[in-house]
Amino acid sequence: MKWSVEQLGDRVVGKPVGRVDEATWETFSEALIAAVRQAKAGATPLVVDLAGLDYMSSRGLRALTLASREAAGAVAIILAAPNDRMREILAISRYDKMFKVVGSVAEAV
Amino acid sequence: MQVRFWGTRGSLPVAQRAGAIRGKIARALMAANGRSFADEAEAGAFAEAELDFATWGAYGGATSCVEIEGGDGSFIICDMGSGLREFGLDAFRRIAQEGHSRTYHFFMSHLHWDHIMGFPFFGPAFDPEATIIIHSGHADAETALRRQQEEISFPVPFEWLKAKFEFIVHPADETFEAAGLSVTLTPQYHSHDSYGYRFEAGGRSVVYSTDSEHQPDNMESEKVFEAFFKGADLVICDTMYSLGDTVSLKRDWGHSSNVVAVDLCHAAGARRLALFHHEPTYSDEDIQRMHVETVRYEELVREGRRPLEVICSYDGLVVTV
Repeated sequence: MKWSVEQLGDRVVGKPVGRVDEATWETFSEALIAAVRQAKAGATPLVVDLAGLDYMSSRGLRALTLASREAAGAVAIILAAPNDRMREILAISRYDKMFKVVGSVAEAV
Repeated sequence: MQVRFWGTRGSLPVAQRAGAIRGKIARALMAANGRSFADEAEAGAFAEAELDFATWGAYGGATSCVEIEGGDGSFIICDMGSGLREFGLDAFRRIAQEGHSRTYHFFMSHLHWDHIMGFPFFGPAFDPEATIIIHSGHADAETALRRQQEEISFPVPFEWLKAKFEFIVHPADETFEAAGLSVTLTPQYHSHDSYGYRFEAGGRSVVYSTDSEHQPDNMESEKVFEAFFKGADLVICDTMYSLGDTVSLKRDWGHSSNVVAVDLCHAAGARRLALFHHEPTYSDEDIQRMHVETVRYEELVREGRRPLEVICSYDGLVVTV
């Protein structure tokens, strides 16, 4: 899993690439928490651009929960551009009811 | 080894109501679409072949009780939920018809009500020829069972029971021999603690891991469970809620989800996962949907791993390991 983050206008955009599973979740989680703090500092939303992500297992999903707890309501976390596999995983885990999911980063306003 | 599920429901026993039965019959009649059958057996075969399980069958509503066969010929039972009553009746039948041993080894995950409520109705406890050995990680297992028999809760005090009782408290993570099996228990996150059990015999292994929450802020600890489940032929796992539920509304309720169970089994290289401890508010259709979703999730995250077979336990299911 590779991670990059950038400030895109009034949003912080984090981009995981690859997959998040039992081998990579810690890297993902640390990066995500750092991005939440960055977004918090700038009072902007955090968009997680999932376009380059093959999938995440429950470890990655729970890392999203940790990020959400870190955000503590002060930062909106938006999931953008999940592939079909990720959309199914979000639905099965019911995480699509806990996070706003949009089709692209541009839609994440 | 053989595993028999006598009770698979979580928290509270449930029963089918008339409306649920009516729905099943209506769906079956619609599927038959005017077809006629020579006899009930032919109709039954049609139902099983053509209808989904939630229509022709039912997951059942008794609380946790799972029997394992394959040890020294003693009865081996995990937990004393309301499914224990039915097990006790069948034990009498097997003793009478098959000359089965009258020794019972119980392995207690924990002592919450839904896991001990079958004990007051366990007929063999009144058998003077019976020996009942209760293995637990909890030092207060005997207290829990005796307290449940007190007059404020039940009319028959513990002292009236005729069987010989022995309570054995085991330290966690130390393998011991019991009933012809190698047994290891490991602590799990649950109110007043719970313990998972790993049973091994003849090169086969069964893990019983119920009432165990795997929290997001303690994911490092899951290495312990990956090792505990390692290469197991069957893992019986608490899959009471969706992952979303376990991290939000039902956070800290001490239960796990279907997707975490799959991930732990994948990482452990387990062969088969049995979904267990079903949410009592779930209908048969809800449980079946959860099963279908879990099978799909396993496919979605499998990657290069060996396929994990995902089965959904129900009262009466028998699995050969």
